[in-house]
Amino acid sequence: MIRGVIIMNDQGKPRLIKFYEFQPVEKQHELVRSIYRILCSRAENVSNFVKVDSLFGPDVRLVYKTFATLYFVFVFDNSENELAMLDLMQVFVETLDKCFSNVCELDVVFNFSKVHTILDEIILGGQVLETSSSEVVKAVEEISKMERNANSILPASWQGR
Amino acid sequence: MGSQGGFGQSKEFLDLIKSIGEARSKAEEDRIVLREIETLKARLSDPNTPKFKLKEYLIRLLYVEMLGHDASFGYIHAVKMTHDDNLLLKRTGYLTVTLFLNEDHDLIILIVNTIQKDLKSDNYLVVCAALNAVCRLINEETIPAVLPQVVELLGHQKEAVRKKAVMALHRFSQRSPGSVSHLLSNFRKRLCDNDPGVMGATLCPLFDLITLDVDKYKDLVVSFVNILKQVAERRLPKSYDYHQMPAPFIQIKLLKILAVLGSGDKKASEQMYTILGDIMRKGDSTSNIGNAILYECICCVSSLHPNAKLLEAAADAISKFLKSDSHNLKYLGIAALSRLIKISPDIAEQHQLAVIDCLEDPDDTLKRKTFELLYKMTKSSNVEVIVDRMIEYMISISDNHYKTEIASRCVELAEQFAPSNQWFIQTMNKVFEHAGDLVNAKVAHNLMRLIAEGFGEDDDTADSQLRSSAVESYLRIMGEPKLPSAFLQVICWVLGEYGTADGKYSASYITGKLCDVAEAHSADDTVKAYAVTALLKIYSFEIAAGRTVDILSECQSLIEELLASNSTDLQQRAYELQAILNVDAHAVEKIMPINSTCDDIEIDKNLAFLDGYVQQSLENGAEPYIPESERSGMLSISSFMTHEDHEPSTHTLRFEAYELPKPSLPPNAPPSSTELVPVTELSYVADIFQPTTSLPSASDSAASELKLRLDGVQKKWGRAHLLLPCPTHHFKQRHCEDSK
Repeated sequence: MIRGVIIMNDQGKPRLIKFYEFQPVEKQHELVRSIYRILCSRAENVSNFVKVDSLFGPDVRLVYKTFATLYFVFVFDNSENELAMLDLMQVFVETLDKCFSNVCELDVVFNFSKVHTILDEIILGGQVLETSSSEVVKAVEEISKMERNANSILPASWQGR
Repeated sequence: MGSQGGFGQSKEFLDLIKSIGEARSKAEEDRIVLREIETLKARLSDPNTPKFKLKEYLIRLLYVEMLGHDASFGYIHAVKMTHDDNLLLKRTGYLTVTLFLNEDHDLIILIVNTIQKDLKSDNYLVVCAALNAVCRLINEETIPAVLPQVVELLGHQKEAVRKKAVMALHRFSQRSPGSVSHLLSNFRKRLCDNDPGVMGATLCPLFDLITLDVDKYKDLVVSFVNILKQVAERRLPKSYDYHQMPAPFIQIKLLKILAVLGSGDKKASEQMYTILGDIMRKGDSTSNIGNAILYECICCVSSLHPNAKLLEAAADAISKFLKSDSHNLKYLGIAALSRLIKISPDIAEQHQLAVIDCLEDPDDTLKRKTFELLYKMTKSSNVEVIVDRMIEYMISISDNHYKTEIASRCVELAEQFAPSNQWFIQTMNKVFEHAGDLVNAKVAHNLMRLIAEGFGEDDDTADSQLRSSAVESYLRIMGEPKLPSAFLQVICWVLGEYGTADGKYSASYITGKLCDVAEAHSADDTVKAYAVTALLKIYSFEIAAGRTVDILSECQSLIEELLASNSTDLQQRAYELQAILNVDAHAVEKIMPINSTCDDIEIDKNLAFLDGYVQQSLENGAEPYIPESERSGMLSISSFMTHEDHEPSTHTLRFEAYELPKPSLPPNAPPSSTELVPVTELSYVADIFQPTTSLPSASDSAASELKLRLDGVQKKWGRAHLLLPCPTHHFKQRHCEDSK
C-alpha cells in the first residue's frame, strides 16, 4: 500500500502532508525533515527511487520527482511497483495541471483543500483508486460545482473572493 | 491567483502565507504562526463568527499544523463542521477531521452519527465524502456502526460510490479482519462489476486476501487470466488507456495477484503462461509505464512454476533494462535479476559485468540494490571479490542503519563461504574495525567460538593454524587507535586463550600487550575485564606448564589498580588472578585447563558426589536436611494463614515482606455520596487484606488484626463507614466537615 504522499518545496517546507497510517504531528515533521535531507543529498540524473527502510520499516521505499520548485514524494511498500508509482505521480501532477492550468507552488499553497480533494480521488486509504486524470478532473469539477451551488445560498458577501 | 469555485481564500490567508514565505528565520516564522494561532483561537471560539468564515479558519488551522504547530484546540470545531448540512462546509469538516484525528481519538465518537446519516444521503457526493472519512476514521469498535450501510453502498448506482465502498470494506478487513470475514464474498461479486474502475478497485482487497490465504482463491485463477487477457487486448473503453497502454495499473495489479496464485502451483502456472508470453511479446519498452508492466511480468514469471520460454523472454527484458541509460530502468533490471536468479541462477553470470558496472554508479539507490543482488549471488567462488567490495562500500557510508545491515551480511557471507581461515579472520577484522560497535554482540561471540572450535573438521593442525594467524593479526591491529569495544573484547579473549599456545610469543610479550590495551581503554570496564581475565589465563597456562611466572611491573600495577576498582566485577577478577598466582601447578591445571573452552560442562544436579560426605556427617550426628517446602518455619511464605496457625507456637519476628498489592478494580459498590476518600486508596487497603477475608476468623488471639481484615470485607461490600478503622475514618469525617 501507499504509506504517504508529501509535497514540499526545495527549501524543505511542507506543502502537503498526507499519511495513510496515522502519524502524530511531531513524527510527521521528523519524517518530512529526514526525507528532505535524503532528497537533498541525491545527485542529479540518478534514479527516482530511494529505500527508506530506516525511517518506515522494512521494504518501504519512496519515489520522488521535482516539478519546478516542488518535490513530490510517494512513500510505499513492496506491494506496489516503483515505476507505476512514478506514473501515478505523473497522473497526480497532470491532474493538478489541468485543474489549475499550469500549476505552480503558490497554487498548491493557496488551494490546499482542493489539492487534497484531487489526491483523495486518486488514492483512498493507501490504495490506488483512480488512475485516469480526466476521470479525476471530472469528479473534482462535479464537487466544485456542487460546492458552488451550496455556496450560492450564502450571503453574497461570502461568495468566493 | 486562480481561485476555483469554492476553493478561494481570503486576503488574510494570502498575507499570512506571504509573510511566512518572507520570514528570514525559523524564529520569525514561529512568531508569525503563534500570532496566527492566537487569532484563530479567538475567532474559532467566538460564537458570532459566521459559519462560512469558520471554514477558512479551519483550513488555516490545517496549514498551521502542517507547519508543525499544535492545533488541537480547533479539532472540536472541525468535528462540528462535519455536522453542517451545507456540502461545502461538510466536506471541509471531513477533510480537516481526517487530517487532524486518528481513529482512536476521543472526538471520533461525535462523528460516527453524522457519518451514518451521510452514508444514507441522496446526494452521492455527500456519500463519497463520508466514505472518505470512513476509510480514515473508523476503528475496530466503530466498524459495526457503519458496516451495514457500507455493504449496502456496494450496490449503489454510481460507480464512484461503489469504488469507495469497496475500499472502505477493504480498510475494515485490514483494521479488524474478524469484523468483515463474513462479507468477503462481496469482493468476488464486485470483481464482475460492469464498471472496470470498480473491478480495478476490487483487485486491491483481493490481492491482500490472496496473499494471506492463497488456497481459498485458486478458483479465481481463470477469471483473473481472462480479465488480464481482455485488458491486454484493449477491450476496455479507451478512457482507461494511459500513455497508449490499456489500463496499465489494472494489468500490474493482476500480474501481482497471478504471481501469488501461481507460486509453487504448476497447474495454476500453466494457465498463465500464454497470456504472460503475449504481454511480454507485445510489451512497449519505450514508455515508462510499458516498462513497469514488463518488470511486473518478470516478477510474475520468476514466482511461477518455471517455464523455459518465459524465462528466456524475462532474461532478454532484463538485459535491456541493464543496458539502458536510465537509472530507473537499471534499478529495475537489478531488482528483476535478484528475483529471477532464485529460479535460474545461471542467468546471473551473463550479466555479471553489467552488475559490477552498477557498483561504480554514483546513484546510491542503485548501489544498494546491487549489493542486495550480489548478496544473493554469492558463492564460494566469488565470495572474496564480493565481500571485499561490500566492506569497501561499508567503510564509505555514514548511514548507521545501512552500515549495520551490510556488516552483518559480510559476516554471514564470510561465515558461509570463507575460502580460507586466513581470509576469514582478515575479513572479520575489517568488519570489526570499521563497524564493530554496530554489529550484533552475537557476531563477536560467534567469531570467538569459531576460533575456539575451528572449522568443525577434526583437523587439529588446521585449527591451530587458524588460531595462530588470528593471534598474529590481532597483535598487529591492536595498537591502532579507536578500535571498537566489541573488537577489543574479541582480541583480548583470543590473546588470553591462544596468545602463547603455539610458543611463538612469550608470555611477557602477550601480557605486556594486554596491559597496554587495558591502559589505553581505561574508561571501558568490559574491555578491562576481558584483558584481566586474559592475563589470568596466560599466567595459569604458564604455571601449569611449570614455568616461573614473571609478572611485568606494568601488569603488577594494573592488578593493584583493579584490586581497588569501583567495579566489583573488576575487583573480583583481580582477586581471582592474585589467588591463582599462589596456587600450585597441579591445581591450576584443574582450574584453567588449556584449550577447553569448547568442552561441555556436565552438571551433576543431584550433587551425587557429596553423598559420602553427607552420610559421614549424619553418622556424626548432624541434623538431616529438610527440603525448604517441608520446613515448618517456612510455611508462612507459601500459605497466607500462617498467623492463626503459628502465632501461638512461634513467637518470632517475620521477615518476609508482604505480597505486593495487586492492582485491582475499585470496590464493587459505588461510593456513597458522603464518601470523599479517594477510591484508589480504598481499593489498596481492601486489597492487602483481601486474602484473609475468605477465612473464618476463629482465634481470639488475633482479634486486633481481625478488625483490620473486616475492614477489607466491609469496604468490599460497600458499607464502609460502619466499621472503618480509625485513620481512614477520621480522614473521611474531616472531609465531610470541610465540605459542610
